Amino acid sequence: MRFCLRRLTHSAALLAGVSLLTFLLAELAPGDYLSRLRLDPEIPEETVDLMTERLGLDRSPVARYFYWLGSLARLELGFSYQTGAPVASLVTRAARNTLWLTGLATLFAWGLALPLGIWAAERRGRLSAALSDAASSLLLAVPDVLLALVLLLVALRTGWFPTGGMASLDFDDAGPLGKLADLARHAFLPTLALVLATLPTLFRHVQASFADVLGSPFLRAVRGAGIPRRRRLLRYALPAAANPLISLFGLSIASLLSASLLIEVVMSWPGIGPLMLRAVLEQDVYVVLGVVMASTCLLLIGNLVADLLLYALDPRIRREPG
Amino acid sequence: MKITAARCAGACLLAAHLAAAAAGFIAPYDYARQHRDFPYAPPTGLHLVDPQGEFHLIPFVYGRRPAANGRGYVEVRSERYPLRFFATGDDYRLLGLFRTSRHLVSVESPGRLFLMGTDGLGRDLFSRLVHGGRVSLFAGLFGASIALALGCAVGVLSGFYGGRLDRLLMRTTEVFMALPWLYLLIAARALQPLDTPPHRAFLTVVLILGCFGWPRPARLIRGVALTARGREYVQAARGFGASSLYLLSRHVLPQTASVAWTQGALLVPQFILAEVGLSFLGVGISQPLPSWGNMLGELQRFHVLASGWWWMLYPGVALVLVILAYHALARGATVAPE
Amino acid sequence: MPHLPRTLRSLALLATLTTLGCGQPPAERQALPEPATGRQSGVPGGRLVAALRAAPGTLNPLLTIDRPAQTLSYLTSADLIRINRSTQRTEPALAESWAASEDGTRYTLRLRPGVRFSDGEPFDADDVVFSFRLHLDPEVGSPHRALLTVRGEPIRVERIDSHTVAFELAAPYAAGERIFDSVAIVPAHRLSESHALGTLPSVWELDGTTEPIPGLGPFVVTSYRPGEALILERNPHYWKTDESGQPLPYVDEVVLLLVASEDAQAIRFQNGEIDVVSDLSAENYSALEAAAAGRYVLEDLGAGLGYDFVFFNLNDLSGAGLPAVTARQKWFRQRDFRHAVSEAIDRDAIRRLVYHGRATIVGGPVTDGNRLWRNEAIVPAPRSLEGARARLAAAGFSWNADGRLRDAWGAPVEFTIITNSSNTQRLEMAAIVQEDLRQLGISVQVVPLEFQTMVERLLVSHDYDACLLGLGSGDVDPNSAMSVWLSSGGSHLWAPGQASPATAWEAEIDSLMTAQLAELDPVARKRQYDRVQEILAAELPLIPLVSPNVLAGARRGLRNFRPAVLEPTALWNVDELFWAAGAKNLD
Repeated sequence: MRFCLRRLTHSAALLAGVSLLTFLLAELAPGDYLSRLRLDPEIPEETVDLMTERLGLDRSPVARYFYWLGSLARLELGFSYQTGAPVASLVTRAARNTLWLTGLATLFAWGLALPLGIWAAERRGRLSAALSDAASSLLLAVPDVLLALVLLLVALRTGWFPTGGMASLDFDDAGPLGKLADLARHAFLPTLALVLATLPTLFRHVQASFADVLGSPFLRAVRGAGIPRRRRLLRYALPAAANPLISLFGLSIASLLSASLLIEVVMSWPGIGPLMLRAVLEQDVYVVLGVVMASTCLLLIGNLVADLLLYALDPRIRREPG
Repeated sequence: MKITAARCAGACLLAAHLAAAAAGFIAPYDYARQHRDFPYAPPTGLHLVDPQGEFHLIPFVYGRRPAANGRGYVEVRSERYPLRFFATGDDYRLLGLFRTSRHLVSVESPGRLFLMGTDGLGRDLFSRLVHGGRVSLFAGLFGASIALALGCAVGVLSGFYGGRLDRLLMRTTEVFMALPWLYLLIAARALQPLDTPPHRAFLTVVLILGCFGWPRPARLIRGVALTARGREYVQAARGFGASSLYLLSRHVLPQTASVAWTQGALLVPQFILAEVGLSFLGVGISQPLPSWGNMLGELQRFHVLASGWWWMLYPGVALVLVILAYHALARGATVAPE
Repeated sequence: MPHLPRTLRSLALLATLTTLGCGQPPAERQALPEPATGRQSGVPGGRLVAALRAAPGTLNPLLTIDRPAQTLSYLTSADLIRINRSTQRTEPALAESWAASEDGTRYTLRLRPGVRFSDGEPFDADDVVFSFRLHLDPEVGSPHRALLTVRGEPIRVERIDSHTVAFELAAPYAAGERIFDSVAIVPAHRLSESHALGTLPSVWELDGTTEPIPGLGPFVVTSYRPGEALILERNPHYWKTDESGQPLPYVDEVVLLLVASEDAQAIRFQNGEIDVVSDLSAENYSALEAAAAGRYVLEDLGAGLGYDFVFFNLNDLSGAGLPAVTARQKWFRQRDFRHAVSEAIDRDAIRRLVYHGRATIVGGPVTDGNRLWRNEAIVPAPRSLEGARARLAAAGFSWNADGRLRDAWGAPVEFTIITNSSNTQRLEMAAIVQEDLRQLGISVQVVPLEFQTMVERLLVSHDYDACLLGLGSGDVDPNSAMSVWLSSGGSHLWAPGQASPATAWEAEIDSLMTAQLAELDPVARKRQYDRVQEILAAELPLIPLVSPNVLAGARRGLRNFRPAVLEPTALWNVDELFWAAGAKNLD
């Protein structure tokens, strides 16, 4: 209970600090959202002045920050200078799209990394392990931008896949199966890029943890006792190898909103990446704040999930006070 | 095995960094030199045997003219330009110090040596790749050093002293990990005087990257320092009245060295990739200065992707090789510190 | 300051520039029948997919400030008199005829009978009076308010009968009835209540849940998927019919996908996900051409109204604390220096390399695309390094041993050019200018900046040497460039917002531009604007480079596709577009 309370205050302090610093940074960048209009010969100055007043850009940064805090209490998180829509609704929508992509990719990446990693750890020193090792090294060295570009090129050359967006225009009229197929077609390439980008790291960690555990005297004893392979791996090796993997899983969760930024931009996925990039370049300050807040929250959630899992799984931690 | 691999990787990286440092010498042309009659030229073929079937020891290239239909180029087999070594060409400063105009390899004008072809303004891609390496590789090295230095300092202090300082520093790392440093980049670029030479403007970008990259190494190193502090012999030394400074420099820092080196080797590629990502998005190093990131960013342009996609894979391949080498180095460092 | 109605606006930042309306001589004041060249009677049905760069800031046709909002307003609302984007002349829209008084200060418009809003409610003079009241209300914030204010007095609107309205101007207005273009008419029956309550802004909020506000345009917005698309459906009560009496528009649905970059639009166009594109860059046009394979048609419309240029910082910097820039200004202020720079630039290389040949070299701000107002006597000077050297030498500049240019006081001539980093064409042009000036011994550094940062320097801090920019124009008519040429104008780029003109030639431009505003004699007005162009060519405050062509494309099978130089390039005749039988959207 005390643990939870302390955690909560820490999180709130962290969020406050991050929001304040982000806001300060945004203030530091010269110009504002309306700079573009000011240069336009066909926008009368009085229109720009009126917009300045409407958007509250004539108020002091302190006043705007407090306005934002107030709107945080109303769960709006300010509004977008561009469309006037509440940031909360913009960010939730974009975050939903991003999470759909990254969630799927994380699922696949872990689903592949666990069996592959265990398999490679069991075959240490053999040719197949060396090959998988080389493959993962190579994949690890390929920047995700490059992966995304190559896949985009494939889409463009073959015409088999859409080159952007996440649903067809007929999406709403399609049946449930049609909807699923449509989503899958749109999500395939970005998910593939993301899986390929995250898989090697996960694979290597899984392999390393299992290699450690499988080589330990404890597991050698288990093996000597003639316990069958499946049971040996699941009942004995997995819990022993889990600690570092759980931290890694926490990181996976924390990066759910940020891992796909470049891939989303290249593949025109309507997620957080394009939203954030546009908002930063246009100085749509409240949107930037909203996105940063959302990803900070996810960072906190990731850490929390990892800690709770560790707490549940590792008896040593439970015994420690506080 | 891993150590041999690491040694090879180290040698390759050294060579790559030297080549990038001496980019002006290695590249046949200045990175900004525009051969305006040769936009989007494909790579020049090197030949040893001429149309008469005669063999030449020194490779040569043929002359080129734009094709009559306006698309592409035709080789003029009657013009032969043998490679020249250490001949004079565009001016540059070798290693930023001596002014010279010698180039490792070139051909006599009006012949052109485009080992990887040219971009839309007729700039030699090979020359841009080599110069771009200077930006990207040093972005990695410089950024990683800053991040590592800061990370070590914070991590060791935090782990060694513990308590309030530790909590404060660790909270700070969390804040830093969450901040959108894109903004800071934009602000920093905007606040610099315009006549800041491009390389100094670039250093600022890297500096900022470095300043935002320290939290992760800091947390790792804190862990190591924490363990080191708890070791019995460190406790014993403290019992004998050793000062904190002594303990830090004699016992704690050496313990963290191996982790620090591994982290360093892993951080460099991360900073290279950060530069690539930023330039790719158009907020990092911007044209006309080449970097691997903005060369790769050219691929976002539809016409390049549609018709010239292959020529931008060069920075891609270069990146993959360099990152592979750094990873090999990092694994070597884990196995054997030093 | 009244400007021309802006059908479209273009800002200096996007790669492509925009344009609108052709200033026909003010004498032709009556509606001319549009030549029915090549228009086909269509097949109804199908869906048309186009793209916008960003979500419109609002669905409110009273507040169309950004380009996406203008395009959307063009599709969903109607105005009284419209500039036909193809003929560039005015044509009847909701007003079926009109008459102007002798002195050009009173317009009487006869409204089309039997017109209905998209919800079926009838349209009459009350809606017109109501709409103009909103446009003129400073609280509403319509950007048209300034345009509808002549000599400081708002235009007066008077209802004569249910289908006749009269407009009273404080002074004659040279551009005449073009003032009515794009001033959207909104439904009084739906909005008078919210206007009275002050809730007008929220009526059109773009949040995906709003009921569509009835309009008079060919389409109505029915749904919005944030970050993805706007979906518009056919307005069943649209007032236009084709020649055979068939109701327009032909297509049932228009989808506007939000695709952030021109490159991404080209990718999705080639992949068959978008049916029409405009604003194509020349490189992408060439790439699409090479890959065409009969799947789409591409149109090169020739020179647009936009152009690219370089200009120097001529602001009065006394007290600004910028000694370095102030010192360099003694070069920038010399006319011969600006001419030497201009002569040294290889504009043909820009045309060839940056625009793949799809651009025209320009000698002044009025491009080849603007035949009515261009001063034919002004031709671009050919490139001449010798000429540039001679000019510099005559102005006291000299070269040192290694060929670097020194000024009369012996200081090396070096400066920076800023441009916005998001625009590749501009970065390439800047690189070409840099290389050209190097040949003159001038060391130039190109500094790409984020757009807002650049604007801050141009308009606020004035901390820059030179800048490479492009400007489009809302109309061919000189009025659209008012705030660029007036020394007090906010877009008088080289020295914006001057209290009084700094130079004699700026003062002369000021008086010419002010005079032409109310000049009803077209010949005299042309003479005045010709003189403005002469002064600009002689003084070169903006050093013009090239004018890019307007490029557009459509999927094969889309009929009546006749893109125009004026925005919205590909969609201006959206009500007439239809799919040929067998084209993909009808199967």
